[in-house]
Amino acid sequence: MTATIRLPYLLDFYPLQEEKFTRIHQFFTNLKTGRFTTTKCRECGKMHWQPRAVCPDCGSENLEWVDLPKTGEVHAFTAMLLGAPMGFEKDLPFVIALVKLDGLDFKILSRVDGIKHEDCKIGMKLRFKTVTRDDGRVFFRFEPIG
Amino acid sequence: MRKVAIVGGGLAPFGVRQATWKELAQEAGGATFRDIKNLERKDVDSMFVGAAMPERFAFQSHVAPMVAEQVGVTPTKVITRTELACASGQSAIRMAYACIAAGLSDIALCIGVEKMNIPDPPEMQTSMACVLDREFDGVQGASAPPFFALCANRHMHDYGTTREQMAMVSAKNHHFSTTNPFAQFQKDIPVEKVLASPMVAPPLRLFDCSGITDGAAGVVLTTADRAKEFTDTPMYILGSGQCSMGSNLANYKSFSTWFPLKEAAKEAYRSAKIGSGDMDLAEVHDCFTISEIMEYEDLGFCEKGKGGKFIEDGQSDLGGKIPVNTRGGLLGTGHPLGATGIAQAIELMQQFRSSVPRQRLVDNAEIGMAHNLSGAANVHSILIYGRNPP
Repeated sequence: MTATIRLPYLLDFYPLQEEKFTRIHQFFTNLKTGRFTTTKCRECGKMHWQPRAVCPDCGSENLEWVDLPKTGEVHAFTAMLLGAPMGFEKDLPFVIALVKLDGLDFKILSRVDGIKHEDCKIGMKLRFKTVTRDDGRVFFRFEPIG
Repeated sequence: MRKVAIVGGGLAPFGVRQATWKELAQEAGGATFRDIKNLERKDVDSMFVGAAMPERFAFQSHVAPMVAEQVGVTPTKVITRTELACASGQSAIRMAYACIAAGLSDIALCIGVEKMNIPDPPEMQTSMACVLDREFDGVQGASAPPFFALCANRHMHDYGTTREQMAMVSAKNHHFSTTNPFAQFQKDIPVEKVLASPMVAPPLRLFDCSGITDGAAGVVLTTADRAKEFTDTPMYILGSGQCSMGSNLANYKSFSTWFPLKEAAKEAYRSAKIGSGDMDLAEVHDCFTISEIMEYEDLGFCEKGKGGKFIEDGQSDLGGKIPVNTRGGLLGTGHPLGATGIAQAIELMQQFRSSVPRQRLVDNAEIGMAHNLSGAANVHSILIYGRNPP
């Protein structure tokens, strides 16, 4: 569990995840069961990041949920050492990387747990993990393999 | 399309100001009208206010009419705010340019304002981080320093750019800002001091980053035909280019080449009928040291991958191929988001008038560029200005 400070909604980075707030609530439900998913258009075949309600390429709303690879490698990395936004102050320092997912062109931005920035390298192998906040909201991060 | 000119402008001092958002707007308005002797407030028919996030920094929306009242104008043709994060100021000029060119306005006032120093720094950082895709990138810790650090990490990997070369950009721009009484930072920061400053987001250190700044700036635009009614030394808009590609970082083609910048530059040079070699000086968006290095390359000032060598060889300093950021850039003068693009235009105008201090004067300059990026460098905006009519 990650400690949570309750902030006014408009100062809180974590998205509202329930069905009454978002059409991509399934993404968060899937995260809770350890699945890393996104939307793919059943009409034109385009895969999206972030998950969508409407395909940006053809406008279709006929989308399906597909699993993303849960491994990838560091394309570029940095860390947040100073200048944290509200709600992140106690997390400092943490590593941030562009993660090139295995077999796809997406380079998804993610926090990387379990490593110092001094030990990071471009090309380093990573795997997906989830984090759950104590208000029940969930998100994904990556961590080094091995 | 009618030709358009800037006839004058003025600044509120940049820095940690003991003044409110509204008061900064008043100062810029006052300075602008003082600069244009033959212009009366009642002549202004339109108003464009560049402001990135007054809702966050001043808890205030609907700011354009408020600024009009604060500076004493009553627009009867067009009034609006322009928001494009770090390029909000240039956006005000671009919209005034478009309206005057199209005949919707004859005399337009642009004021850019930002008040970024608030009592609680994490609250300010929260506001800055929501410039990126907050739900999917911001939540992972992406704000400005980490994003540009990722570009630096990748540029060093792909092209061998060095830490020292990045520090040279900061040293150059801080040296220029020692000549600028409107700058937030007016002391030299030599390369060694940049390299010894606290790490913010590796490889970027404190003096690789522009400041958190309060400030405001204003300019007045009219048609090229009428410009000499107001000043002997108008500055003409010769060309323009702008390009937006993507938003969420996963959809970027590259982190070491800014493709939207290459597109914006192509259109700017085409519309101004010039090449990158025809410019006498440039104001480019050095929000971080790596940005200026990538801009040398993607604006075509040097070959791809040679931006580090360009600064190392002094090509962006006075006497080099193209002096860059003579007013001190964002690194030296600070970066009040809504004001920056307008302050850049004022520097070029004062260079064309030869009214800047001798230590930063580019002799006989006739053509200059103002460039801004915004967000995670997914948008690039360029205006090309000239001392002579197009």
